Amino acid sequence: MGTIVTFDLYDEDEPSESVLSLLREAIDVLHQADDDFSTYKHDSPLSRLRRGDVTMAQCPADVGQVLELCNVARNITDGWFDPWSLPGGVDPTGYVKGWAAQRSLDVLRRSGIRGALVNAAGDTASFGGPHAGVPFRIGIVDPAATQHLACVVESPGAVATSGTYERGCHLIDPHTGRPASRAASATVTGSDLGLADAFATALAVAGLQALPLVEALDDFEALIIDYDGTFHTTTDFPAVRTSSKTSS
Amino acid sequence: MKRAHIVIAGTVVGLAGLLSFNSTAVNLSLGSLSAVTVPTRSTTTTTTTPATTTTSLPHSGGSTPPPTTTRVVPTTTATTTTTAAPSTARSATGAATNYSYGVLSVKVTVSGTKVTNVSIASIDDGGNPRSAYIDQASIPLLEQQALSAQSASIQGVSGASYTSAGFEQSLQSALSKLGL
Repeated sequence: MGTIVTFDLYDEDEPSESVLSLLREAIDVLHQADDDFSTYKHDSPLSRLRRGDVTMAQCPADVGQVLELCNVARNITDGWFDPWSLPGGVDPTGYVKGWAAQRSLDVLRRSGIRGALVNAAGDTASFGGPHAGVPFRIGIVDPAATQHLACVVESPGAVATSGTYERGCHLIDPHTGRPASRAASATVTGSDLGLADAFATALAVAGLQALPLVEALDDFEALIIDYDGTFHTTTDFPAVRTSSKTSS
Repeated sequence: MKRAHIVIAGTVVGLAGLLSFNSTAVNLSLGSLSAVTVPTRSTTTTTTTPATTTTSLPHSGGSTPPPTTTRVVPTTTATTTTTAAPSTARSATGAATNYSYGVLSVKVTVSGTKVTNVSIASIDDGGNPRSAYIDQASIPLLEQQALSAQSASIQGVSGASYTSAGFEQSLQSALSKLGL
C-alpha cells in the first residue's frame, strides 16, 4: 500500500559499506512486512488467512506473532484497539506499520552509528540523536491547522500520532462497529512503535476516557488534543514546550 | 566534534516509493546510495529555507502561555528551489497519476544522485472541498517527510497517516526520467 518511509542516519562520518548494507537490510524488513501483511495484495499470507485459504500454522511465523501482539494491545486498551472488529475480517495493518518500522530500526541499531530515525508516514522510531547526548525532537502536527505544529516532543524511541484529519473518519469504534473519533488527534510516545501506534489509535477513537490506560503504563505517555484545541497529557509526556498549556 | 550529518532522507523516500512498485528500480537506486550521502549539513540546507513562524499553542482555561516560536518545515512547492544546489542539480516532473481524489504529478530535484527536493508539480481534484482539505493537509506533510531532516530544530514530524500511492507513482516516474 502507499506509505512513504524515510530513514535519516546520523553519524560523524559518511556511512561505511557495512552501514549501507544494514540500511538495505532495514529496507528489506519493510518490504517483507508488506509482502506478508498487505491486504492489497491478493496472495499475501494475511489476505489468504482472511479468506480462509490457509490456517495460521501455514502462515509465516511473523503473522502469528503480530496477531499475538495485537491481542496484547487489545487487552491493554480495554478493546479500544481491536483489529478483529474491523469490517472485512482481522486487519492488523494498523499495528504492522509501526511494528515493521521498529524492526527496521532495530536492524540499524547494529550499525553502531550515533542515531537513526525511521519515519513511517508520520509515525517515528529512533535511537540515539542528531548529536551526542541530544535526543531527537519530533514535531506534532496541529490537527486544527495541519501545516503547523501543535508542540514538539523529545522522542524516547517511538512517537505515533493518530487522528482523522488526514483521511476522514476511517477509525472504527470496536464497541459499536461504527466510525468514531473522540479526539482531534492522539499522540503516544514510548519504547516501541508498534504498541505506540496501537495506543494512539485507541486514544483517537476513545478520547479522554482511555487516557488513564496509558497513564498506567510505565513505558508510554500520551497527548490528546481535543476538537476545541485543549491539550490533555499523561504525567510525564515529553513535550518540549507545552508545559503551561496541558492539563492531566 | 565534527558535525557531519548524513541526510539520505530524500533518496530513501524515493527508494521506498520505488520499492513498492518496482524492485528493479530499487536495485539501481541502492547501487547509488554510496554517492547519495552528504558530508555536511550545510550542503543540504542550501536547497531550502525554512520559514520561522510564530504561533500560539492551543490552551485551555485561564492560563496565558507565552507565544511560542515554532520552526515550520517549508510547505509550499515554490520556495524550495534548485538554484542554490550544486550545478549538477536536475529536475524532472513525473507522470500525472491518479490518486484517491484526483490527479497529481510530483516534481523531484536531484543533485547528483541525492534527492534535494520533492514537491507537487500539479494537482487537480476537481474542486471537491473535501478533497481540497485533504490535499492541503497531506501534500505538505509528504513534502515535509522528504525534507524534514533538513529542519534545524526538529528532525521529524508526527501526524495522522495519509495514503500516498499516487504521490509515489509519480515520484517513481520522475526519478526514472532522471535515470535513477
